[in-house]
Amino acid sequence: MSEALYVGVDVGSSATKCVIIDETATLVGHHVNHSGFDYADAVDMSIRRALRQAEGTLEDITRCVATGYGREHVKMADRQVTEITCHARGAREWYPQVRTIIDIGGQDTKVIRLSEEGRMVDYRMNAKCAAGTGTFLESTAFKLGLSLSALDELAMASSEQAVLNSYCTVFAGTEVIERIKAGQRREDISMGLFRSIAARISEMLSARSDAVAVTGGVAAHCRAMVKALEEMLETEVWLPPMPQHAGAYGAALLAASQEDTQRRSTSHVTHR
Amino acid sequence: MATTIKRVEIESRRELSELMRDQFLSLDAAARDSQRKVAWCTSVGPCEILSAMGFEVYFPENHGALLGARRLSHEFIPRAVSIGYGAESCSYMNSDIGSTLMGHSPLQDVFGIAGPPKPDLLVYSTNQCREVQDWWSFYGQRDGAPVMGVCPPTHLGEVTPEQVAFVRGQLEQLIERIEQQFSLKLDYDRLREVVTLSSRASTLWRQVLDTATAHPAALSFFDGVIHMAPVILMRGTQKAIDYYETLLNELNRRVEKGTGAVPDELHRIYWEGMPIWPKLRELSEKFYDLRAIVAASTYCNSWAFDEFDGDDPLEWMARTSIEIFINRDEPVKQRFLIEMFDKFAIDGVIFHNARTCPNNTNSRFGMSERLREELSIPVLVIDGDLSDVRFFSTAQTMTNIEAFIEQIEELQR
Repeated sequence: MSEALYVGVDVGSSATKCVIIDETATLVGHHVNHSGFDYADAVDMSIRRALRQAEGTLEDITRCVATGYGREHVKMADRQVTEITCHARGAREWYPQVRTIIDIGGQDTKVIRLSEEGRMVDYRMNAKCAAGTGTFLESTAFKLGLSLSALDELAMASSEQAVLNSYCTVFAGTEVIERIKAGQRREDISMGLFRSIAARISEMLSARSDAVAVTGGVAAHCRAMVKALEEMLETEVWLPPMPQHAGAYGAALLAASQEDTQRRSTSHVTHR
Repeated sequence: MATTIKRVEIESRRELSELMRDQFLSLDAAARDSQRKVAWCTSVGPCEILSAMGFEVYFPENHGALLGARRLSHEFIPRAVSIGYGAESCSYMNSDIGSTLMGHSPLQDVFGIAGPPKPDLLVYSTNQCREVQDWWSFYGQRDGAPVMGVCPPTHLGEVTPEQVAFVRGQLEQLIERIEQQFSLKLDYDRLREVVTLSSRASTLWRQVLDTATAHPAALSFFDGVIHMAPVILMRGTQKAIDYYETLLNELNRRVEKGTGAVPDELHRIYWEGMPIWPKLRELSEKFYDLRAIVAASTYCNSWAFDEFDGDDPLEWMARTSIEIFINRDEPVKQRFLIEMFDKFAIDGVIFHNARTCPNNTNSRFGMSERLREELSIPVLVIDGDLSDVRFFSTAQTMTNIEAFIEQIEELQR
């Protein structure tokens, strides 16, 4: 295969995602693996696996955009762009009419608002603590001896409108124990955790919209998260075909965009 | 290919370093001389009265900032918390008290002096916050020094003559108490001289800050927080005036030559709220890399007072102390900010939500949203603290700032 390939790499706190598109903006390769201890290794594996699926080689890569917290570890990147812009770009490709994008990642959650023309007019990121993020769910699931998917299964079987009141991951853990002691059903407690995240996210919405999409690893793996958001926002929430890859997809699209090549790169500035 | 940007340093900084050294050596000498008296004063407190009465004046908030800038606060704060100060109370106060309890101050390393000078008198004004009263009280009890203060009306809309007269009355009472305590007599002509010098330095400081209205801006917020030291610590002295004349000349030359603090600046940002002292360098470099100049701030403008007309120095002190931004209500603050955005041609506004400084945080009552809606200007709120680095996430904040610049670029396209 010799046509030009455009690569987007999203190095997140939990997972590294790579998406490759061709000259027609068709998605031809993708991969996700743990970020682990060595981001450079994770990036290397992600790109090579995605390339294999795309039936391409490193020489076929025309341009690469890196995003995510570990974006500076993508040595081949021509440019670094924040995951906020990339998730917005990726989601907009799947849903051109989208106005609000909720990205729930391992380390943080972002709410991005787009104008009718698709320009980013506002965005919010959660405060420094883990509340409202994937880490909140993972750590609570771990405490209960469950995997994230098992927590999701339980939550989907919930029949009560239980909500956890605690913001803080540590306090939420204590509240879960209190509820267990009080005899509350495990299914309802599990759903309460997802509702707690949805409540936190609703605080970050500066304007309500009926065109909402959710991206990120939590949405990719937890149907209960989408359900909790739909309940909280009282609207249908769109789940794209590859929610976890939205940032990498957006990065690949930016790599391919002609407009993008004319913009400056901030990653190459050095200090004297 | 890597682009190399050469930072143009402000040459006057060398002179500033000498000034600061002289200031702290003089304070240290005064503290060890039984014939001289040291008074502690809040940063927008009635220091001119103290100077006119012959006290050497020391400003502890500067020590709080220094502890933050040297990334030492988190080492000292737990000690203050252990004796009953809240973990989310003012990190200047907590780190300063903690450093005293632990017997270490960066003044030892920076200026070779033992630490902050022991006070003979502590004077506060609660025009910026009430915390200073409790902060000073700790030292008053420890050192057996009298603690005196002025408590002006707060959250003011329009400042009325009655409010000014009320504060002026408090200043007269303060003078009486100091005169009685130390068997001194205030020379009002000397006070007028000191206030005249103070006002002159303040006017020059405003002119210095206004060089950032040029395109490119001649100095940034990150320069400002360094060069503001004389207008706080040396108010009422000729040396502050001399320094700002030198600095202003240098900056005016920059404006004439088109030299910017950030070469090839693309975006102009306003900083609302306290500096994040432990992260100043990283933040400065981040904006520099993004070709964004933080051209103006509320913080640096807090010491740019209206000029003294030569008439009644106490009236000027009373008025300026309550007219400051932090002491005003939301509508006045909002009007001030809108004027500043216009004056400095601002593209985006950053509000710093300082965890331990609610009084100097203005994003908690909807102002950031009101400005965003009213002006259609990009606004970013970042979480952090003036001094306690534990409330700050570097990765998250840097991503936030980069995304903010991406947003501005997208809107400008």
